[in-house]
Amino acid sequence: MKRIASWIAGAAALFSAATAQAEPVTLEIWTIDRPDQYIYLVKDEFEKEHPDIKLNLKTVQFRDMVNDLARAMATGEGPDVTYIDNPEVALFASRGLLLDLTPMIEESKIIKKEDIFPGPLASVTWDDKIYGIPRGANTIALYYNADMFKAKGLDPDKPPRTWDELYDAAKKLTDPAKNVYGLAFSAVATEEGTFQFLPWLQMTGGDYNKVDTDGGVKVLEFWGKLIDEKLASPDTLIRSQYDSTATFNAGNAAMAISGPWEMPRMAREAKFEYRAALLPIPQEGAARASALGEGDNVILANSKHPKEAFVLIEWLYSKMPEVWNRFGFLPASKVKVDNPQWPEIYAVFEESMKYARNRGPHPEWPKISKAVYTAIQSSLTHRSEPKAALGAAQKQIDGVLGR
Amino acid sequence: MKRYVLFLIGLTITAVYLFPLYWMYLTAFKGSSEIFQYPPSFWPSDPQWNFLQVWKERDMGRYIWNSLLIAVGVTVLVTLLGTGCAYVLARVRNIWMDMALFAILMMQVLPSSLMVTPIFVAFNQLGLLASPRLAVILAQTAKVLPLYIVLCRATFVQVPRELEDAALVDGSSRVGAFFNIMLPLARNGILVTSVLIFLQSFGEYVYARSLIAKNELQTATVGLQTFMGPNANDWNGIMTYAAIYVTPILIVFMLLQRRIVSGLTAGALK
Amino acid sequence: MQSIIRTIRDGSGFDILLLGFALVYLVTFSAFPIIYNIVMSLQTVDMFTIASFSRPFVGLQNYYNILSQPIASLVFWNTVKFVVLSIVFQLSIGFGLALFFNQDFPGATYLRGLFLAGWIMPALVVGAIWKWLLAGDFGVINHILMSLGITEGRIFWLSDPDIALYAVIIANVWLGIPFNMILLSVGLASIPRDVYEAAELDGAGPFERFRSITLPLMRAQLGAVISLGIIFTLQQFDLIAALTQGGPADSSNVAQYWSWQLSFQTYEISLGSAVSVMMILFVIVVAAIYVRSTRHEHSY
Repeated sequence: MKRIASWIAGAAALFSAATAQAEPVTLEIWTIDRPDQYIYLVKDEFEKEHPDIKLNLKTVQFRDMVNDLARAMATGEGPDVTYIDNPEVALFASRGLLLDLTPMIEESKIIKKEDIFPGPLASVTWDDKIYGIPRGANTIALYYNADMFKAKGLDPDKPPRTWDELYDAAKKLTDPAKNVYGLAFSAVATEEGTFQFLPWLQMTGGDYNKVDTDGGVKVLEFWGKLIDEKLASPDTLIRSQYDSTATFNAGNAAMAISGPWEMPRMAREAKFEYRAALLPIPQEGAARASALGEGDNVILANSKHPKEAFVLIEWLYSKMPEVWNRFGFLPASKVKVDNPQWPEIYAVFEESMKYARNRGPHPEWPKISKAVYTAIQSSLTHRSEPKAALGAAQKQIDGVLGR
Repeated sequence: MKRYVLFLIGLTITAVYLFPLYWMYLTAFKGSSEIFQYPPSFWPSDPQWNFLQVWKERDMGRYIWNSLLIAVGVTVLVTLLGTGCAYVLARVRNIWMDMALFAILMMQVLPSSLMVTPIFVAFNQLGLLASPRLAVILAQTAKVLPLYIVLCRATFVQVPRELEDAALVDGSSRVGAFFNIMLPLARNGILVTSVLIFLQSFGEYVYARSLIAKNELQTATVGLQTFMGPNANDWNGIMTYAAIYVTPILIVFMLLQRRIVSGLTAGALK
Repeated sequence: MQSIIRTIRDGSGFDILLLGFALVYLVTFSAFPIIYNIVMSLQTVDMFTIASFSRPFVGLQNYYNILSQPIASLVFWNTVKFVVLSIVFQLSIGFGLALFFNQDFPGATYLRGLFLAGWIMPALVVGAIWKWLLAGDFGVINHILMSLGITEGRIFWLSDPDIALYAVIIANVWLGIPFNMILLSVGLASIPRDVYEAAELDGAGPFERFRSITLPLMRAQLGAVISLGIIFTLQQFDLIAALTQGGPADSSNVAQYWSWQLSFQTYEISLGSAVSVMMILFVIVVAAIYVRSTRHEHSY
């Protein structure tokens, strides 16, 4: 009798497995990845381990993601799972468009809330609930060309630690005859400009909600000095971080401020010894700060397959120990990375993560961000004084924050 | 002698104009750090031959097929709808026609990027998003139809009216005169304009990106964006892709253009 | 029934039918989005309420907000400069090239065919290429200008706020030349040779012939090309997005890009719609002038 029961149970299991395989659930996934990145790389692996779930991937341009998502949600055409950039999670979560993952995480054997670093956790948290799981994290640091340091009589073991040292190094390293600028960074009029600016502001005690500070003026004056004295290219104003760092890789800049995503390309193309250091601080003993980047995997509130979607998110989270070596992200949670590639640079970024601060969160982050990069641009092009520019930005930010 | 001087001048002008195109091909061949080098090299130091790889990896055949499908669809639809309309607007002059022409011009005032939200909402309601390539054809047709009508109208204006009147006097019907007299005489203008419409639609980007959800139905221009990311712009890949995309059309239309223009200069109007 | 068929075969029914097809199509697919934009410009629209019409009505408040923004006048003058300069150069260069290639010399048609390249290229790619060409540090244009001794130092085409707008205009002119040239070529080719020959017999010089024959006979083409050129220039979006994104510090920002920024970057969709409606008003003027100009068209 028992045997028959187990037979029946086995047959039922087989049968259900067969139906599951006959009709796998297809999850619609939106991503900003190119076909050689993140989710495209693991798609087959996931589908093999979960034969009952198929993934249909669609790449959306980074700058279009929020609009396309909003439009799709407004008309009920949205995906099940999507990438959202850190500062935008609050925008969607505050309107109840994302699935609250808190109960699922409590039951999960794979995702432990306590393991996620505070910065990334804050970026997916809105109103004490968790609406997404970080795919990884990134932050920025100072890359430098050790060969150029040696050639100009600087000690590559002592990279600049303060802004003054950074200025001196940039000045020594700048060599117009050889088309070399001292420093490459990005002050472009997009989120990237804000991303690069905020850590500098935070080191002087300001933050996104308090920009018209003496520290803020000091940062803009410092950036302005770098550009006016041609220690950094005037094109800093229109170049993204990735394009700026390309000039570093090509040997046209001696230092560059950017993130870990640069590593695969730098390893391939930079024909010199490159190293990394923490972002310089205003003066000895000042507080450190760094940016926090990367995005999150979220499930839309009206997804028809929340269970399967969560399986995917859990599975992606379980890849955290591999994100550095495979995708160029930093882990967003306490995991041990075995044999990291480029171990010295990994160590710098790992330490930098300790100082990484989230942008916002605020549901109207894009407006805050725009106020910040507008101030940067108008000050660096000398359309207005740093103080006036930041004052105008503060007024707009206060308006957004309802103060 | 003078003809050869003219040829040389013509060649120089064309070369200057096409310099950006040369730069595209050059960039496609350069390594990605060489792109940023100064002084820039006018010939790749270490030519990269990525064409086959990009073609295969990005599945360009499928993308180009979709683009072609959409461009042909739009061109056919536009020609069918627009030619007659252009003819009427060129032939009949009264206040109503003025208003019609005015209305048609108005219809293409907004850039696609601002039209796409309402179109998306409307097409979603109509269920058109289920056949996304058709949706793009319909939207793009509406976008370029005014252009076609205005240009084609200018062609019909130049066809001598006496020819049509003569045919009508000879007992031809309006329909007959239109098909037998007007269309053949205006065919060069129609052809050139259709070619322009075809090229415009082949490069359509905004509607395809927003209305087509499935990757396998996407067009070549949207495929291009797979090289661009927030922290990764593969300029090499972009230029390689663009070169693959542009070269065949360029060759086809260079050959075709000879026909179009020789048709023009040897046209029936001489 | 018989009479309907007859009017379609022989009367004005034929005209109405042909016109009707196109108009009905356009009204169905184009008028709706435009009206939608106008409605949104009078309401408070949130990016998540785009699919419904029931939104708070605020009248002209959005227009007031837009016009009181400090960059409004900057954007207005940039747009005027962008349109006027683009059109003037596209048209004169395009017309010049059309006249040049209309002469009889070997390879003329082939060379002219090559100009179509500018029309085929997606604006996205054109923008990317021009970004390379105009780059301040490693751009080839600076390299050429400096090696020829035309300029002393580098020009930061895209990041110098006094120059950025002109850099975008240069790229836009490049993009617009083939359109002007090809269409004007078609017009030139359909002017009968004997008209010129008659004028030549009367002793008219080349300039006189151009003024008294070419220009008047090309009126329909020129009117079409100019009015469409203005509309195209007002729609130019990808190029600006690829080159300067309206920067630095909004120095190359124009109405269509600003409208997009408002709607899609800071999600102030009502404000973005208000800008687009003001652009519509501008195009109404252009369209009216065009329609008026068609009254004086020559047919021969």
